[in-house]
Amino acid sequence: MNQNRPTLHRRDFLRGALITGIALPLAGSLASCAAGGGGTTSTGDTGSGASKSADNPFGVAAKSTVAASIFNGGYGTDYVDYAASVMAKQSLGVTASVSAITNIAQSLQPKFVAGNPPDLIDNSGANAIGISTIRSQLAELSDVLDADNYEGTKISDTLYTGVTAPGTLDGKFLVLNYVLTVYAVWYSAALFEENGWSVPKTWDEAYELGGKAKAKGKYLFVWGKEAATYYQTLAIASAIKEGGDEVRLSLENLESDCWSKPAVQSVFTAMKKIVDAGYFKPGGAGTQFTAAQAQWSNDEDALLYPSGSWIENEMKKQTKSGFEMTGAPEMVVSSSPSKPYEAMHSTAGEPFVVPSKGANAAGGKELLRAMLSKEAATNFTKTRLTPTIVKGIVPSDGFGSTALVSQSKLLEDAGSNVFSWNFVDLYGMNQDQLVVWNTFLSGKSSVAQLTKGLQDITDKVKNDDSVTKVTVS
Amino acid sequence: MTTLAPTAPTTGGPTRAARWRRKNLTVDKVSFAAVFLGVPLAVYLVLVVSPFLQAVGYSLTSWSGFDDSTPFVGLRNYVTAFNDDVFMTAVRNSVTLVVVLPIVIIAVAVALASLVTIGGASNGPVRGVKGAEFYRVLLFFPYIIPAIAVGIMWGQIYDPSNGLLNGVLTAVGLNDFDSYPWLGDARTAMPATMFVMIWASVGFYVVIFVAAIKALPAEVFEAARLDGAGRFRIATRITVPMMRANIRTSLIYTGIFALDAFVFMSALNAGGGPQNSTLVISQELFKTAFTKGQFGYACAMGVMLAAITLLFAGAVFLVDRLTGGGDDLQEE
Repeated sequence: MNQNRPTLHRRDFLRGALITGIALPLAGSLASCAAGGGGTTSTGDTGSGASKSADNPFGVAAKSTVAASIFNGGYGTDYVDYAASVMAKQSLGVTASVSAITNIAQSLQPKFVAGNPPDLIDNSGANAIGISTIRSQLAELSDVLDADNYEGTKISDTLYTGVTAPGTLDGKFLVLNYVLTVYAVWYSAALFEENGWSVPKTWDEAYELGGKAKAKGKYLFVWGKEAATYYQTLAIASAIKEGGDEVRLSLENLESDCWSKPAVQSVFTAMKKIVDAGYFKPGGAGTQFTAAQAQWSNDEDALLYPSGSWIENEMKKQTKSGFEMTGAPEMVVSSSPSKPYEAMHSTAGEPFVVPSKGANAAGGKELLRAMLSKEAATNFTKTRLTPTIVKGIVPSDGFGSTALVSQSKLLEDAGSNVFSWNFVDLYGMNQDQLVVWNTFLSGKSSVAQLTKGLQDITDKVKNDDSVTKVTVS
Repeated sequence: MTTLAPTAPTTGGPTRAARWRRKNLTVDKVSFAAVFLGVPLAVYLVLVVSPFLQAVGYSLTSWSGFDDSTPFVGLRNYVTAFNDDVFMTAVRNSVTLVVVLPIVIIAVAVALASLVTIGGASNGPVRGVKGAEFYRVLLFFPYIIPAIAVGIMWGQIYDPSNGLLNGVLTAVGLNDFDSYPWLGDARTAMPATMFVMIWASVGFYVVIFVAAIKALPAEVFEAARLDGAGRFRIATRITVPMMRANIRTSLIYTGIFALDAFVFMSALNAGGGPQNSTLVISQELFKTAFTKGQFGYACAMGVMLAAITLLFAGAVFLVDRLTGGGDDLQEE
């Protein structure tokens, strides 16, 4: 302890402290908004270095390099490296430098502003760029569909039907979604067989199954806080089966009563009955979603889980052995729905885009062409146990995956009754909807409150002039 | 301890001024000024001041963030912000944090610092409780863990089904807490989050206050004790007033900490929590900028956050001045 007078005058120190106090938050809150200098480097041509031909449909320069920024998520990035090696073997000898990134928007935003984006982007993950934001800077990809693949077949003929729909904005095909996603209600075939349960086809059957699960000390459903809207996806699919395309279009076009349609309401009411009966495992609103999913796939606390087909890959390390993960179509409300029970909610995911200002945009398309070749698509499906949009790749044994086999069967049963919707992702509503759904699934809100909450979110987007709307018909 | 070394009075004002007179500017002094004043100032201007101004400029545009078109829209972004109920919820939550956290953190830190410095046995020299050194290290421990790790760890502790907290509560017979979602219920999400932030930061301020108390003359405490003052009275009537400046500075730092809170909020409830009960401005700003592609609007939010921070700093100084803190601002 000391009695010397401090040589640094306290007043000066305080002044310094005040300035620091002001500067720190300013630096934090404002510096994040900083942009790079405005870029004016726009090369008029899209890097075409050679004339176009059947072997070189996009006129990519021989021996050129493609810069690809790939989202490093559940699927990793080495499947693009594989496709690049397939591309390099072709006569043009085009190579690719693939960079794995996780925060797409943060990493690429300065490049877009400066006008030198990469040639190919896998715009996926929690920090993907909103497509409507960069729409005007994307190259049309219809010529990729028209080109022949490396085996000599026109690419559009090798794809599943409807997979280009999610990437088509106002008639322009801008986004190529590479991975086929089948939405279903997933369960353990082994567990169901052991207990003599059958998969519920209607919400009433689901309610009954909930009672049987309860008798065994289990729950019907489980949810996690970041994935509460998986139940919205389930509800919308079920409502579309009940009410037909009218329901889908009403939601897609953000109509002012879209959540109040009888078909939607009947599904919400059926769900509310299950929530009130306590067939949802409590505490989901505070549970991290993969932890919740493990309660289903590993602990078998719950019987059913609605999700996309990525679930098998996502939970690979946390699935009980002998689980036999299998998918079933979403439940329907009545015995006479507008679309059959077997109708499927299926869409394509992992959105790949080619910025038109990229230095080698033609090369970006060439790499897409390589990814759509039979060789690269087979590699993806085999190593990720997930189908791509390329048809006829999955063998009958599904490379040993029950989930993959059941996906093929679901798609086969559905035939042409395949549907999907876009509005949730297109307008970035998921975050806001999560809040409403977590409350509902916790049993803390009524069907009317759920409906109002969702309608408010939809109306907010509809009434926001700064958001460009896409009309769906 | 105190060696009453004769402190040479810092006289010679004129001499000191003379040293810096123009004609005395040597290469040595100029280069010293250039390196230690010029370079930091230039860095500060380029990396701190210019982004501020840029951000204020962008807040008046509808810039999407992904191109170079910045249409001027005047104050429209600010009008939108005031009519945006989600953003206003975020503002309310941030204000709640900035009101509650600094007071709680400082109060707890002062109490703990007093315990480990003057809370010990009442005979012999003034000292802390037994094992004070150990507690000091222990208290500082959470602070050295990165915030994101703290968030993830507490996220697991709060887990409704398998978390430590509910495990302990149900083990002692409080079965109401079986599967209780601490972070998933709008009533508890904010207090639970605040607790984590307090836990993570209180140790740092304990260290600051321990140093401040040690710098105070021990005679004062001894005299107070001889006069019959108890530990609580010593803490509130002697320690706190004598550490006024430290506390004031700490309040501002904790306020900044509370207004940011981004890491903790993202780790515990990335989506803003149940009914947006833990959504803070920085999260809403981030979402608006990168997910919604509205950088202009996000910059307006940033400017408003900065304004709130300034108001807070101003309020702390005003309260301090009104309660008589002006005295020790006098040159001593």
